[in-house]
Amino acid sequence: MVRTMRAKAATVPATGPTAVTIFTYQVGFGDCFLLRFAYPDQPRHVLIDFGTTGLPPGTAANQLKMIADDISSKCNGKLDAVVATHRHQDHISGFARAANGKGPGDVIRALNPDVVVQPWTEQLDLAVDATGPRKAAVRQRAALTTMQAMSEQILSLATTTRARRLPKSMVDELRFLGEDNLSNRSAVENLATMGRKRVYVYHGSKSGLANVLPGLQVDVLGPPTIAQSASVRKMRSRDSTQFWHLRLAQLGAHKGKAGIAPPLFPDFVAAPGGKLPMAARWLATRIRKAQGEQMLSLVRALDKQLNNTSVILLFRSKNKKLLFPGDAQIENWEYALDQPGLTDLLADVDLYKVGHHGSLNATPRTMWDGFKKKGTKDGPERLTTILSTRDHKHGNEERKTEVPRRTLVAELQEHSHLHDTRALQDGKLYVEVHLEL
Amino acid sequence: MRPYTRTFTVLAQDPGARLAGNLVFVPVDVPYEDLGPGPTGYRVRVIDFDASADRLYTSWDDQRQPADTYALPEQSLNATQRRSWEQKLLSDPRFHAQNVYAIVMRTLARFEFALGRRVAWGFEGHQLHVAPHAFLHANAYYSREDKALMFGYFQSARTEETVFTCLAHDIVAHETTHAILDGIREGFTEPSTADQAAFHEGFADVVALLSVFSLPSVVELVLADGATPVQTAAGVRMIAAAAVSEKAILHSMLLGLGKQFGASLDADGGRADCLRRSISIAPNADLLSSPEYQAPHTRGEVFAAAMLRSFVAMWTARIAALGRFQHNQYNLDMVLAAGTSAADSLLTMAIRALDYCPPVDLDFGAYLSALLTADTEALPDDGRYKYRALVRSTFASYGMMPSPLRTDPHTGCWQGFASNAEVVYNRTNSESLLRDKEEVFRFLWENRRLLGIDERAYFRVSSVRIISRVGPDGFFLRETVCEYVQVAQLFGSEAMSKLGVARPAGMPTRQPITAYGGGTLIFDQYGRLKYHVEHRLDDAERQSKRLEYLWRNGLLDAMSGRKLQFGELHELRCGSRQ
Repeated sequence: MVRTMRAKAATVPATGPTAVTIFTYQVGFGDCFLLRFAYPDQPRHVLIDFGTTGLPPGTAANQLKMIADDISSKCNGKLDAVVATHRHQDHISGFARAANGKGPGDVIRALNPDVVVQPWTEQLDLAVDATGPRKAAVRQRAALTTMQAMSEQILSLATTTRARRLPKSMVDELRFLGEDNLSNRSAVENLATMGRKRVYVYHGSKSGLANVLPGLQVDVLGPPTIAQSASVRKMRSRDSTQFWHLRLAQLGAHKGKAGIAPPLFPDFVAAPGGKLPMAARWLATRIRKAQGEQMLSLVRALDKQLNNTSVILLFRSKNKKLLFPGDAQIENWEYALDQPGLTDLLADVDLYKVGHHGSLNATPRTMWDGFKKKGTKDGPERLTTILSTRDHKHGNEERKTEVPRRTLVAELQEHSHLHDTRALQDGKLYVEVHLEL
Repeated sequence: MRPYTRTFTVLAQDPGARLAGNLVFVPVDVPYEDLGPGPTGYRVRVIDFDASADRLYTSWDDQRQPADTYALPEQSLNATQRRSWEQKLLSDPRFHAQNVYAIVMRTLARFEFALGRRVAWGFEGHQLHVAPHAFLHANAYYSREDKALMFGYFQSARTEETVFTCLAHDIVAHETTHAILDGIREGFTEPSTADQAAFHEGFADVVALLSVFSLPSVVELVLADGATPVQTAAGVRMIAAAAVSEKAILHSMLLGLGKQFGASLDADGGRADCLRRSISIAPNADLLSSPEYQAPHTRGEVFAAAMLRSFVAMWTARIAALGRFQHNQYNLDMVLAAGTSAADSLLTMAIRALDYCPPVDLDFGAYLSALLTADTEALPDDGRYKYRALVRSTFASYGMMPSPLRTDPHTGCWQGFASNAEVVYNRTNSESLLRDKEEVFRFLWENRRLLGIDERAYFRVSSVRIISRVGPDGFFLRETVCEYVQVAQLFGSEAMSKLGVARPAGMPTRQPITAYGGGTLIFDQYGRLKYHVEHRLDDAERQSKRLEYLWRNGLLDAMSGRKLQFGELHELRCGSRQ
């Protein structure tokens, strides 16, 4: 497959774009990139993601609307393409529409993109080809629905009075992950019906961007289909729907009240949780915490699974390569990096959008180590990196899972030309990066 | 006379395993103690708080009347009455509490019997907390931090019935073994190679499965599939040879772990057999180097497979030595006695081996050498059935060989300590040396150069324990086992200069690394050093393997200073993480 990619690289037409300007918008913990490709006739615009789960303190309440308006102005009322890498809130919440028709999603919709690119898991009519079996896709969608129902339950629990008995950091993480994994129904529906054409992609499929970005090769490196993924792991692909149904049941959601299971032995209840005898209190506190950790492990698994549906795109011109991996984590990357020659293909990447806001597992070490253009000396050939993130929203410093990961940021600062939205001054809407292609 | 043991009824399998239509309830003996509500005893404290329902359930309480309240009624029960009695127990949380208490105490007693001493838990304190219905979640685990065993419950995806992990004998014994092993060897939960974490899992499975063989009535029920055995005119109970063939035993329900749990994870009963059946892994010397067996939970199954196949070989060898009756039958009671004896011997060998293991970075080869050495010390003659030779060849069939360092190539045992003439004994008190950590540290300090201890690293004596057993001459024997552990903090750039290993590709020079070294000293009854089982800090090959493994799997950063988390590991094992 990589041989094919190389062969195509040799046939990139000379009429391709001559430069790209990337506007990285201030969405706090989220992603929003407007790519402006300079063509001889007129610029072409691609919007990659538009969402947030936490704007920085002091930003305007209507920040997303301001960004949408700015995008509209920059592309002169017409988007060529929209890419929604995956359905997490921090990537698609900006596509939500408002009842009055003036929401940020309404503005983007009015830009009438020629094509909307999403992962194969988002295809509502599920006409996936042979490498993405229809049955598996149906199950994947059902699993998504269950997973998001689970998120609602966890979010409910994190906001009940019982949550007071859990450590604050745990409740914060439950709340953050619960919110990020909510269904974003308005945004999902908007993306599913927006523009002239919808394309659902997976590793090795066509990107759907060939017509809107002539002269530019766009490779889809992820996500893998279930069949592709299973071939890497060499293990039985479990039924995802059943898995999440079982997990949803474990939250007690099937029995009614959010997050609270009915007593197992109604005839043998000695005391409610608020009136425990002294002998039981020490352990009860620890069991509660252990239960919170179990829930966190579920919601983290859910979060990871959605992250791993991220579209990974590699834009290639004659002289430059731009890598946009969404929030893909190692399990998504695993299949791509396992393909012969792909590490070589990525070795001379010029611009890298840092995966998953700088988390520990989203920049595979083998890939980062293989980037030849990273280095400590500034210069036109030095690797450029873009990081859209916000501190203290996700992960935990004690567990060394904080996002962005301190050690990764240090590495990015030392070995690349890093553009970081955290450095944006108050009121500034975006970071601008320009690259000759 | 005050009783020494007390009888409790427990479930010897789990509610998913029925024989001749009945659940496998059996009476078991545990050491007698004056129990408080819970039950709460001197080693275990059962507290039945359910965090998912936010409720505390009624405690088991015998009101100081030591009768087995849940014993099978003496009068015979018809099928309906039996079902009703079983249902009564399953729906009573006090029986659940009794079940976990008795299984934990029995497992602990089995270790103490093999080692001839009390075994402490791996945390500060004397009582292990047990939460039989901790939360609504398909998981059960030992938590050192919480000084507890947590047992979850969940709704079966297949039958929609509630599955209680606290009612599964093998799951309770497995979790208890983690807690006991952590008490015997605290270093085995440190981040290390895949073997060390795998050992914790595999060893816990082996103890859980073999311990059932000490209940002959259960083994009989399984072998005879619940049927009443045929008797000869002389009253000898018989069993068909086919029912106790190697093939039949390999496929036996007794050697599958977590029957109900496994059958309840998928609606289609995808694991209807059980959660794990390690013994079905066929011998293959290349398995441990294949990518599929690099994760602790899969790798541990290879260890369990080698141990369980050793047991099957031991048992079938003993059965083959029994005379056959007409119609190709065996004496059932002799078959059961052979199984009990084989399981008991192997379990004792397996447990005693722990005292002869290095305290850090355990690998399967070192464990095998420890097992062979410990057993040779106890029984210099390998006996009629050549158990040691059999275990060694079974391990070899899975690619596990005795440690290549400091072992006798013929026996696979650790080489005895050969430099006693150079040891400085006269600066330590020989009596105190056999029980006092401070004295042992002084001994180590005085002999650090001879023993190859790198004094640049922090080191401490982590335990001093007495081994008591009957020697081969029938006399009472007392030895002392001491562990010392070395901890070195360094950076990636120092990998070569301090450990003698190359920095793994891509590792930054400033990457913090924690490396471990250490040794186990076995002193004889005269206070002379008999064995020094060491994993030295400057063992470049071991350190290199460990560093590569931790670095390649991203564990060096994430697990720095973090012990093995059984909750996470078990979640992975039952496939509940994707």
